[in-house]
Amino acid sequence: MDNKKKTLIGIVGKENVLEYQKSLETYARDQSFVLPIEPWFVVRPKNMEEVQAIVKWANESTTPLVPMSSGAPHFHGDTVPSVPEATLVDLSRMSAIRRIDRRNRMAVIEPGVTYSQLQPELAKEGLRLTTPLLPRRTKSVIASLLERQPTIIPRYQYSMTEPLRNLGVVWGNGDILYTGEAGGSVYSLEDQWKAGGRQVDPKGPGQTDYLRFVTGAQGTMGIVVWASVKCELLPDVHKVFFIATEKLEALIEFSQRLQRLRLGDEVLLLNNSQLANILGKGIDHIITLRGALPHWVLIMGVAGRALFPEEKAAVQEKDISDLAQYFGLKLLSAIPGVTNREVLDTLINPSGEPYWKFKYKGGCQDIFFLTTLDKTPQFIKTMYSVAETLKYQASEIGIYIQPQHQGVEHHCEFSLPFDPEDWKEVTRVKELYCKASEELIGQGAYFSRPYGMWANMVYNRDVQGTIALRKIKQIFDPKNVMNPGKLCF
Amino acid sequence: MAFSKEAYRALEDIVGPDNISDDPALLDTYAFQYLAETVRPNHSRYMPRPVAAIMPCTTEEVQAIVKVCNRYRIKVKAYSTGWYHFVGAIKPEDDTVQLDLRRMDRILEIDEKNMFAVIEPYVICAQLQAEVMKLGLNINIIGAGASTSILASATSLAGWGPSTFWMGSNPDNLLGVEWVTPAGDIVRTGSLGSGDGWFCGEGPGPSVRGVMRGNFGALGGLGVFTKCAIKLVHWPGSSQLDITGTIPAYRLPLQENFRAYTIAIPTWDAWADCFYKIYDNEIGYVFHRQFNLAGADLAGAFWLMYIDPTKTLNDVEQMVKQPEIKKLTDELRISFQLILAGRSVRDIELQDKILDQILAEVGGWKVKRFCEQDMAEFTNLYFARMGHKHLNFVWVGGYMGSWMQGGTPDYVKGYQPIAAAQLARDQKSGLLVQSGGDALMGCGSGVAGGGHMALEQFVCYDPADHDSVDTVIKDMHGATADAVAHGYPPGKEALYLSVGMKDEDLYAARRRAPQPFFRYQWKIKQAFDPNDVGDRMYMTLPPEDETTD
Amino acid sequence: MALEDYRADVLRCSRCSYCKWIPFDHVKSWRFAKGCPSIDYNKFQSYSAAGRLVTGLSLMDGRCDVTDRVIDVAFKCQLCGSCDVACKVCRYDMEPLLALHELRFKLVEEGHTLPQNTPVMEGFRKEHNMLMKPKGQGGKWADGLKVKDLSKEKAEVAFHAGCRSSYDRDLAQVPSVSASILQKAGVDFGILGKAETCCGGRAFHMGYRADFTSAAKHTVKTWTNAGVKTVVTPCADCFHTFRRLYPEVGSQVEVLHMVEFVDRLVKQGKIKLSRPVTMKITYHDPCHLGRQGEPYVPWKGKERKIFGQAVVYDPPRPRYNGAKGVYEPPRNVLKAIPGLELVEMERIKEASWCCGAGGGVREAYPEFSSWTAGERIEEAMSTGAEAIVSACPWCERNFMDAVNAIGGTMKVFDVMDLVQQAI
Repeated sequence: MDNKKKTLIGIVGKENVLEYQKSLETYARDQSFVLPIEPWFVVRPKNMEEVQAIVKWANESTTPLVPMSSGAPHFHGDTVPSVPEATLVDLSRMSAIRRIDRRNRMAVIEPGVTYSQLQPELAKEGLRLTTPLLPRRTKSVIASLLERQPTIIPRYQYSMTEPLRNLGVVWGNGDILYTGEAGGSVYSLEDQWKAGGRQVDPKGPGQTDYLRFVTGAQGTMGIVVWASVKCELLPDVHKVFFIATEKLEALIEFSQRLQRLRLGDEVLLLNNSQLANILGKGIDHIITLRGALPHWVLIMGVAGRALFPEEKAAVQEKDISDLAQYFGLKLLSAIPGVTNREVLDTLINPSGEPYWKFKYKGGCQDIFFLTTLDKTPQFIKTMYSVAETLKYQASEIGIYIQPQHQGVEHHCEFSLPFDPEDWKEVTRVKELYCKASEELIGQGAYFSRPYGMWANMVYNRDVQGTIALRKIKQIFDPKNVMNPGKLCF
Repeated sequence: MAFSKEAYRALEDIVGPDNISDDPALLDTYAFQYLAETVRPNHSRYMPRPVAAIMPCTTEEVQAIVKVCNRYRIKVKAYSTGWYHFVGAIKPEDDTVQLDLRRMDRILEIDEKNMFAVIEPYVICAQLQAEVMKLGLNINIIGAGASTSILASATSLAGWGPSTFWMGSNPDNLLGVEWVTPAGDIVRTGSLGSGDGWFCGEGPGPSVRGVMRGNFGALGGLGVFTKCAIKLVHWPGSSQLDITGTIPAYRLPLQENFRAYTIAIPTWDAWADCFYKIYDNEIGYVFHRQFNLAGADLAGAFWLMYIDPTKTLNDVEQMVKQPEIKKLTDELRISFQLILAGRSVRDIELQDKILDQILAEVGGWKVKRFCEQDMAEFTNLYFARMGHKHLNFVWVGGYMGSWMQGGTPDYVKGYQPIAAAQLARDQKSGLLVQSGGDALMGCGSGVAGGGHMALEQFVCYDPADHDSVDTVIKDMHGATADAVAHGYPPGKEALYLSVGMKDEDLYAARRRAPQPFFRYQWKIKQAFDPNDVGDRMYMTLPPEDETTD
Repeated sequence: MALEDYRADVLRCSRCSYCKWIPFDHVKSWRFAKGCPSIDYNKFQSYSAAGRLVTGLSLMDGRCDVTDRVIDVAFKCQLCGSCDVACKVCRYDMEPLLALHELRFKLVEEGHTLPQNTPVMEGFRKEHNMLMKPKGQGGKWADGLKVKDLSKEKAEVAFHAGCRSSYDRDLAQVPSVSASILQKAGVDFGILGKAETCCGGRAFHMGYRADFTSAAKHTVKTWTNAGVKTVVTPCADCFHTFRRLYPEVGSQVEVLHMVEFVDRLVKQGKIKLSRPVTMKITYHDPCHLGRQGEPYVPWKGKERKIFGQAVVYDPPRPRYNGAKGVYEPPRNVLKAIPGLELVEMERIKEASWCCGAGGGVREAYPEFSSWTAGERIEEAMSTGAEAIVSACPWCERNFMDAVNAIGGTMKVFDVMDLVQQAI
């Protein structure tokens, strides 16, 4: 252990190597149910060269590495080591925004850059980046995009990996190979920029889509040291509208049509519990809101940007209104209990403190998967049924449905709040989480991001896919030093 | 191992005697290919003959064929519609079985509400588009046009075109895929592999589809793709294209929520500015620089000739001298086409207003003659169906696309004058069609949403004339040399020439790549194609390079 | 001309696959997008127009010998011309259909013939018809008609029945109705009746150029002797042969199809179609009346290059691309019949799907011929029509046989059948 520490200090400096102790408990466990395993070290590199040195060392010494970019709390178990004697690679020191290019609407950032840090800098250039729903303040942009966390503007999501474009990757075998058009050029980003490259095209290089190996990989293929992301223009006009219904079914066709016509910026569907969790200022307020809010709300942001922004917003608003009328729905500019401005501000900013999912009970487990919108009612029914069986209060389940890929895939998420200090609740939620996940997978819910216990369930269903993934893993991380024990590795 | 009667019989047992042949004349029809003359001895139009042509009907048959080829170490090369000199046998010394996938031609499903279709390899864009238009939906048709296989471009080649800006490229739109690997395994990607349907091409976890294609696909060199799902987009037009006009000058009248413009710009700097403003303002259902493919000096006369069904190429000779055509020719030198489609009347009116403002800001204008009804309706149809794309070959049957280095508009405008000068120089001898430089054509954006594009130079030659073919080959080398001399990577012509190069020369070129992706492609090949039944169009470095690293 | 004259066509073929489909702008469905029956049925690339061009090149260059496969490829094609139309959407220099003909001529002239064609050609030579029937049996349709005999008398208009309807009892009403219409209209015309010989078109399409030339010269001579200036026929095959092939052997007569003639008569008010015929029908454009029914334009010239390499012709070469086919006259006639509801199929006019009978295919490849017709019947059924109407007895025979084979209920009519009902 001493030798390992010595080598790491040689790479990153003494102050950036932490030997595991109680004060570093946040690195050993997270909000998920995975078994906590303490890493031996936490190491904090500053640049690509240090990261490569760490990975090469890990190969030589057969040391498991667990990369991490975001700050606590973590949720899915992917940043908790699955094996002993691991070294956690904390990338939060790599927090530079390398470049913001308004003309090409591209930004190049390092893994430690959070949404809280990035958005204000983008705003100075008249840009912004589509975000997931209320990311925590410590959430790394790259980590979120790598894990294909759904973003709230489906219109810009031309592919499931958007807005992620190019990556600088130190692969599990210590090689550096960039993805996308950046991979077809020299290593120096500055030289690429000088030659007119802007890291826009995500595909390749060559005949392989390396980006695809790293996204959804939970750090098992390599470590991303920079990423380019496609930004949107900051709107000059921005409003939210709502459609409120008792039943989700009443929103389905309207939402599908909305996506098809590419109307709106932000589009998301929330049940009253989830919306209350988001907007509520405390437990009591959440409970009040839950009672006051319509059972289902579809929230749409309507924005106008660039030329004639007011007219752009006005035309969209009228088109959406016509559409709503066609489906017998009413377009609202407010919902009971909260102002339009409050909703918009909440939606487009990171979560406040405490993290919004903890506001109600202090703890929360999420079950999420991909499906098509028409199937969501059936999965909701299943979730409620399992909850009832296990005596979990169904009305407390927060439901968030996020259209993705311009309306083809939909992220469906069930949030299960619980009091982490109450062992009965913890046990109940654990059981609910397991049982509901099994049932949902059995009914065709596609767990495309198989964290923790989902991994076995998912990979058991796809034998050939698993074999193929293991071949890929063998290529990029033959010694399995990158986050072993995750996914099917 | 030479191709044996035993191997033939094993293949015949899979598909039946009617669906396999080794008749030399029949095999020649698979060897005869576009661009073969640029790489083959004596400018032959024939690539090497395959040892057999076989037509499977199901994925299981494809798998069985691939397994036989593994057993007998025969190269497997599948094609859908079969266009390009790299879709068949490449090296004469390899035994290659040509899989002709035309029997796999079904549209398996159209899910209107969730906006995707599931198709087999031989479904062409025109067919799928016609079916989905009935439901108010549309597909991205690639630059090569309506005759192409959607599955092929999505999985195996490029996949972008005039509508990519709004509709997404075919790789963007690719969902679940069924893939018979070179080893003969059937891998189903994304949600399909988990038995959850076709709707998602990613995961679980990392995405296996990353192996299948990158910036471009494996060009048939890494197994066979037997089905895929493709994302659909909204079509705000009528359920059927109501064509008017006399062949070949068909037209599509513009509905009230459509516009079809040819836009001219005064300078290349302003052209780039214009593109960025179009990206920022998100207007443009179809956005492409198309008509300039006919050449800077001939485009005006050519297109006006074409939309008159009583005229032929003979007329272009005189038309080009007419004063008003000369004026038009100058006007069109920096121009492009834009189809606007509104989801409502108010939407299209606003798009029009935005476009006018953009043009005012960059000093551009709508080309009056090309926006008149006849030309506008032709433009509308041209881009709606992309059924005239083989006008690429109109002059004399030979067309080679060069340059096409991808980048931002600022990057691409940089090579325009070099490409233009290069073509003007090479056309002087009269052994190429003297269409005038530039003859550059390209998407408004090859990456969905804008920001990345490329311009492809149209170099036209006579494949029946050896001197003309010699000249186009020189032009290809010249284009590469000019590009590299000015700091650009080699263009599309390098891919074409690579088909005929020796392995050692290909490896030497690949070793010069600044990053090691060709080495990784070798590792991928090792993992997925242990018996080397995929050909060298899946580009790798040799195994010896591994051991020297 | 010889196959070698089309070497440049092959070398300039871009292998674009347009020849397999109808012009793409016209595609309205997955089901009815195909244009070429041959490749659709036979599947291998050889069976497309491009494939045949390459086969010809391979033979010319000695890359292969004439095998059974080569013969099959060359002859298993109706020469319907769909490939030609589609190719010419984007090309002004290609003549795929002519090249396909030359391939057949070359094979026949070199003695590589289809065994199935032998009895047919023997019948043609001996009995002057393509149906292998004794020549005396033809012409019965004219029994009872008082009309000039052109073998003995003169007339400016010749009515030519064609051997399909002359020798096929089920179709005999077509020429007899046509002749009555001419009579009613007061046209001074004559027929050859039992002495009528086959136009030779089918022999031409089967590759027997010399036989065609001989038959054509004989017919032209007969017309000349009878003072004929105009030929009218209800058969699309004969129409095409007379209009497009006969001028090459010196014919200078005007050629009209009966539908053109009736269209004229209706417009001039000389016949009235006043009796209602209540039926929903669809119209099938015969290849030889439609896309191959364009007027003949004499041309002798050569290729020239402009702008360096662009191919043009001196003098400008006429363009046969289906633009000027006979499409509207039959439709005008049908629309003039009260009670008739005309619904169009997807593949019409220059994009029409072949009936399957042409090019010697009905004779040599009956299964393929029947399949092709069956595809067209499916398309007709998809319109909801009760009947398919055409203007060619070969089409009608093939459709009737196809309907019988599938046990269908679709009726098959000639335009003249309905005209007769409506007069």
